[in-house]
Amino acid sequence: MSIQTSNSSGTTANGAPFRHLNGDGVRDYFAFFRLPRKLDLDLAQLEREFHQQSRKLHPDLFTQSSAEQQEWSMEQSSRLNDAYRTLRDPIRRTQYLLRLEGLELEEQSETATEQVRASGQAKKQIVPEDLLEEVFELNMQWEELRMNKKTGDSDPALVRELEGQKVSLEQKQEALLEELKSYWVEWDALGDTSPLEARNRVTAKMADLLNRRSYIRNLVRDVNAALEN
Amino acid sequence: MSYSDKVLDHYSNPRNVGSLDKSSSEVGTGLVGAPECGDVMKLQIKVNPQTNVIEDAKFKTFGCGSAIASSSLATEWVKGKTVDEALQIKNTEIVKELSLPPVKIHCSVLAEDAIRAAIHDWKKKQAPVDELARAEAR
Repeated sequence: MSIQTSNSSGTTANGAPFRHLNGDGVRDYFAFFRLPRKLDLDLAQLEREFHQQSRKLHPDLFTQSSAEQQEWSMEQSSRLNDAYRTLRDPIRRTQYLLRLEGLELEEQSETATEQVRASGQAKKQIVPEDLLEEVFELNMQWEELRMNKKTGDSDPALVRELEGQKVSLEQKQEALLEELKSYWVEWDALGDTSPLEARNRVTAKMADLLNRRSYIRNLVRDVNAALEN
Repeated sequence: MSYSDKVLDHYSNPRNVGSLDKSSSEVGTGLVGAPECGDVMKLQIKVNPQTNVIEDAKFKTFGCGSAIASSSLATEWVKGKTVDEALQIKNTEIVKELSLPPVKIHCSVLAEDAIRAAIHDWKKKQAPVDELARAEAR
């Protein structure tokens, strides 16, 4: 796979403004915006590029065109929207890049379990032990809170504790985003010619972080639900 | 999505919910989680030091019905087995027994992982540290 499209798209100017976008359905979102595969994106530039391309691709411009062209415009517009939504969001952008780099964020890898079944080794867990402990403890408390509510007991101390947890979880989520940004910088400093191990080392760190973040995100959701009910 | 009858049975009637003394040398604890759905599963076994037979098993799972059913079934299956026999349990057998749909296969994987983690923890307690390190280096 290459990212050469960033400089091979000079045909936008006139006459056939979108020819360079046509026919190649497999181009990745970065290439779609003529961006290199970097993570610390210039969001203003992304937005400008998005508006510019939207204007050119909008289905309204194709009402007089052939059915084929109309369909093409619809497809490209929707792909443009997907691309923009994905790249604009820091987490989705990172996930997308990891997928492009061949790294799937697995739920619970069946393959890895099959491997340890054969080798007898311990399976490396995606989530660090201390985070799991924390998740478990928090769930125990929330269960208690739900039970209390069912029986009509209210426990102001428990509610206060939950509110404290909510704040600390949100802070943790923020901190993870900052940590992720530091990996972006590492990634962006690497080039296409960097050794594969170096690239893999950074993508692995990002994958690990996103997995931890998923947990925290779910916890924030659950603690909010527990407080609202 | 609808759950199978067996999932519903384990879900509304979970077997072996609870906990064992984590600090006991006869007890192994496995704590595993799946980030995407936020499930967290704790499975504990109590092993007879003479026979290596798992005499008791307890679990506590926070997650969907399939995750709860998978871990409940896992505790039922490991009880009475030797540690080595328990290591033979495959997630696909759990899938089959509970008729889990493809999107819930990861719950069965989690349950197998929990069994393995618990056994690993117990083994760590049995073997002197250096012996374990050698085993892992092998």
